[in-house]
Order: sequence, then structure tokens, then C-alpha cells
Amino acid sequence: MTVAASYYDGSSSARHLVQVDCPQPGWIRITGQGIQTQWPLSKVRIPSRIGDAARVLYFPDGSQCETRDHDGVERLLASQQKPSGWSLHRLERSLAYAGAALALTATCIWAIVVYGIPTLAKEVAFRLPPSTEKSIATDGLRALDQALLRPSTLPPDRQAALRALFADVTSDHPDKAGYRLEFRAGGPIGANALALPGSLVVLTDELVKLAQNDAEISAVLAHEAGHLRQRHALRSLLQNSAAALFVAVAIGDLTSITSLAAGLPTLLLQLKYSREFENEADESALAYLQARGIPAGHFAALITRLGAAHGAGASGIHYLSTHPAAAERAARALEKRSSRGVR
Amino acid sequence: MKDNNIALEGRADLVTLQFAGRAGEYFSIWIVNLCLSIVTLGIYSAWAKVRRKRYFYGNTLLQGAAFDYLADPRTILKGRLIVVAAFIVYSIAEQLLPMAALGLIVLFLLAFPWLAVRALRFNARSSAHRAVRFGFRGGYGEMWRSVGIPAILVPFTLGLAFPWFLYRRDRFVIENSKYGATPFAFHATARDYYLASLKVFAAGLGFLAGSIATFGIGAVPLYLLVRSYAIAVMARLKWDCTALSEIRFRCEWSTGGLFKLYFVNALGLLLSLGLLVPWAAIRTARYKLEHLALYPGTAIGGFLASAEAQVAAVGEEAGELLGFDFGL
Repeated sequence: MTVAASYYDGSSSARHLVQVDCPQPGWIRITGQGIQTQWPLSKVRIPSRIGDAARVLYFPDGSQCETRDHDGVERLLASQQKPSGWSLHRLERSLAYAGAALALTATCIWAIVVYGIPTLAKEVAFRLPPSTEKSIATDGLRALDQALLRPSTLPPDRQAALRALFADVTSDHPDKAGYRLEFRAGGPIGANALALPGSLVVLTDELVKLAQNDAEISAVLAHEAGHLRQRHALRSLLQNSAAALFVAVAIGDLTSITSLAAGLPTLLLQLKYSREFENEADESALAYLQARGIPAGHFAALITRLGAAHGAGASGIHYLSTHPAAAERAARALEKRSSRGVR
Repeated sequence: MKDNNIALEGRADLVTLQFAGRAGEYFSIWIVNLCLSIVTLGIYSAWAKVRRKRYFYGNTLLQGAAFDYLADPRTILKGRLIVVAAFIVYSIAEQLLPMAALGLIVLFLLAFPWLAVRALRFNARSSAHRAVRFGFRGGYGEMWRSVGIPAILVPFTLGLAFPWFLYRRDRFVIENSKYGATPFAFHATARDYYLASLKVFAAGLGFLAGSIATFGIGAVPLYLLVRSYAIAVMARLKWDCTALSEIRFRCEWSTGGLFKLYFVNALGLLLSLGLLVPWAAIRTARYKLEHLALYPGTAIGGFLASAEAQVAAVGEEAGELLGFDFGL
């Protein structure tokens, strides 16, 4: 049993037509014009087959044999009972395995992105002490101050009153010692409240003015405190980096054709994550209001007014762009109230 | 382009590259390896890459002899881990300390030529034909002088230096590449690149005019057409001015051919939600390889058969420490 192959000696590109066979068990012999060598089969490197791409046998001295006679090579190896072992080629040539791989790939991408990464990010975020975010908070606020925010014009006694309100809202939070409330004039971002990394809440003057009473402001503070308690800033940071990384490694690996599409899923993810976090924060706000016996309608009213204010004076930055629709949130808040009323 | 006397020699002497890959066969290879990459959280992707490239190289034939891809996946994995680590540091810094991120970008710009040289060398050293490896001997300093400085000049000259940059880049890559011990030669001039760029620029103006005339409706197909034209013009110029010893190259990529290739690929990818990626990859490889030829045929046989000329480059770093690689 012989296999026709091209032989290259490894030091020149000259091609020699040869026959490859196994004259005795465990040996491979190359015979051609002026060529007569043999190697123990165990010393020959034979990478697993990939489709019908040329098959190469690499010999220890750098020479090699190249052939496209795949059946011949298989028969030769089979006759030597060389354990071909676990071969990827077996998976690759089967339609059933390809179908299974396709289904598994789709399922894995979905599960990792929707469950795996958020869970991992949550674990990591809660393990890190709140102090890790401290320096981030200062830098983040400084950047915001330079780009968007202006000093607050609220009178000091009003600020003190709101800080006291914030302390009341966060009185049952385990990490409340590190929490900070800052006041700024919102400028282009208008009536707004931000929860920044490092347990920092920024409240804009416009929001304070938009609120009709302190119950409404306490609802907003409870919402932002919910972000702090759930470590949303750090979690979304971790999630977005990990998701972008995963998509880049898994999908960006294909070809440059798809690199454009690789950015898209992460973009959609960011939107979805934010919505989930907003809902979680809304939950904490409603829980706080319930505990204090404040009607949830205050929260709904402020959300509706915020939606109207931002919808009317759209100024480049949309407070609600990553938030669930204002009407939807208000409806949920009211729904909570009615279900509580029954109880 | 000087002494381009292909018309006199006739087509009989052209030896075209052949590509034997098949879309159906490659699809299952692609999906099985992609699945393994994802299940292993990306670790296997280095092995998948090697397998994919071995499939394409092993199906690329010159006079019946295949090309070979010999990279060690572990080396590629090491390179990737470093890139991933840099990416994590950058994306965290970007969100936490914007100033530090800016510093990292500057650092990356300085490191980029080094990475590019490593990638060129790694790719060349990992590629072989007839048991003789390709090589790349360009260095970091030369990369800066030849390519880095022209690239920096581009924005300061309002893009006027761009064709010069393309010329220096192609020349740097080709003149530093070698097959065994024989270096490739490049005889295009900066003037050739300026003339070709002028043609592409004119086509770009045509694209703008056409897009406006059709109220934007024709923008996408027109863009593909102009892009195909640009790729075909620049590739033909590059290959037609490249030589390996007395062997010359003949690139026959045409605007129409590339346009049809890209248009059908884009259509297939859109309609299949990306499932036809392997099919598009096979079509692209087939078109690009089968429209690339070497001549004169007599010289090819003589060159490849002469034992002395192409002694495999010995003593060069046999195993790269890290495998940096970009794209396919």
C-alpha cells in the first residue's frame, strides 16, 4: 500500500515525486528518484486533517511530504494501528455535529451575555470595597464639572436640609458612611440626578425647582441611593468591558467583514443593562416611599414632569435616553401603590 | 509602472494560483471551531485561528503545491492575552480616568509600529511553501523612518502625503519580505502611487456626485463600486511592481469582479444574519487568489527547483516569543 506524495527536503524548494509506504510495522518509508529514507512513525508529526486541504507529514530533519490523497494517508495510518486519537476532523465533517455546534454557539452567546456576564460583574462589584471607587468619583465629578455642570445657586440652608433628607433616605444602607450628596446647576443636562461611582449623588438645581415638595425629592434621592446600594456604576463598568471583550474575542475573530457587526450587540446590551438597573433603582425608591408611608404618586408625578421637561427642551443630552419610558415608569409606580392599597 | 511588458509575453506564460476550498466543507469547520472558541470563553480561539488558516493555506495551490501555515497556537494565545489585558486596562481607565486613557492612547500609538513589525514577522515566519518559510526582516526603527513619519505627515499636509504614505508602507512590507533567502523586490515609484491615488480620488468625486444626483439612494452601491475600484487599482499597482528574483506577479482583480464579489457577499451576509460568513470568506479567497498569477512560467520552475537560491533561512528566531496578529 503506497501513497503518492511530493517530497521537500526542507532546505530547498525543489519538488521530488515520491511514494510513501510502511515497509515494516512502525516505520514510514519515502522512495523516489535519488531519495530513500525512512523514519519511525512515532517521530513523524502528522497534524489532523482539515477538510480536503493538503496533508503534510513532517519529518524530524525538517523535510516533509505533501499529498492530497487523504484516503491513502488514512489507510496507511490505519494499517499501522497508529492510534489516530481524538480528531477534530471527525466533528468537522459531520453535518449533525455542525448543526449541534450552531445551536450550542447561539445558546452560549445568549446565555453568557444575558446571564453570565451580569452575574459575574455583580459578584465582583460586591466583593470590591466601596473605597476602590473613591478616586474614580473625584475624577468623574471633575470631568463633569469641566464639561457640563456649573456651581449650584441653592442657598446653603436649603442644601443642608436636602442633605439631611438624603441621610434619612439612606439611613438603612450598610455603606452609608461613604455616601456624598453634591449640588450643581445642571446647565445642558437640566433637571437631573446622577449616581456616580464612589457613592456620589449629584442633584441639579433644576430638579430641586421642578419638584413640588420634598416627598418628590426624597423619591429621587431614594432612586439614586438604590443605584449606590446596588453598585450599579461599577457593575455597568465591569459588564460593558466584559461584554465588549467577549464579543470582540468570539465574533471579532471571524473575519474583518463582521467587525462592523461586532460592536452592535454591546451597544444594545448597554441599553438593556441600564434599563434593568433603572428598574432596580425604581424598586428601591418605591420600597423607601412605602416604608415612610409616602404615596407613590409623588414619584410618578415627578417622573411624568421630568419626562415632559426633557421632551420639551431637548438639549442634546437626553436624561431619558437610557431610562425606561417615563410613562411606563410612572404607570409602574402607580400600580405599586394600588396593589399596596389593597393590602 | 516601468517595463510592464506583459502584453508582449502573452497569457500562455502565466501561472495562476488555484484555490480548492469549498464553502460547504468550510462551513462546518468554521462553526465547530467557533463553538469550541465560545465554550472555552475564547481560549480555544487561537487554535481555531490556526485551523482556519491551515484550511485556507492548504487549499491555495501554486503548480499543484500547497501553502502551509505553521504557527503555534500557544504563541498566538500569549499575544492575544497581552492584547486583551491592554484592552481591559484601557477600557477601565477610559471610564474612570479619562486623562490616563489619553496617555494610554499615546503609549499605544508609540507601541503600534512595534506590534505591526512583530505581526508582519510572525505571519511571514508562520507561512511556508514547499517546506521553505517566508520571512520578514524589517525592524522597528526602519518602520518608524519608512512608514511612521509619512503617516504622521498625512494630517499636516491635509492628506496630500497620503499616497506617499501608501507607497512607503507597501515598499517597506514588500522589500523586507523574503521567500527562504530570496528577498522580494518592489519597483513602483511614488509617482505611480500619486497617479493611482488621483484616479481613486476622481472616482470618489464621482461617488459624491452620483449620491447627490440619486438623492442618496445610490450611495451604498456606488460606495461599493468606488471601493472596489480603489482596491483593484491599488492592488494591481502593488502586485505588478513586485518581483521575486526573476519571477513577476500579475494581478487581475477588476472593478467589476470585486464589485460583484462584495455586493453578493454583503447581500448573503445580511439575508443570513451572518451565517454565510464562511461562504463569503471562501468566495473572497477564490476570487483574489485565482486572479493572481506569476510569470514567466519557465522562471518559476527554475527558481523553485534550484537548490542554492532558496536555501531556507536558518538561524532566524525559530520560535517567536509572542504572536501578535491582526485580522485574518
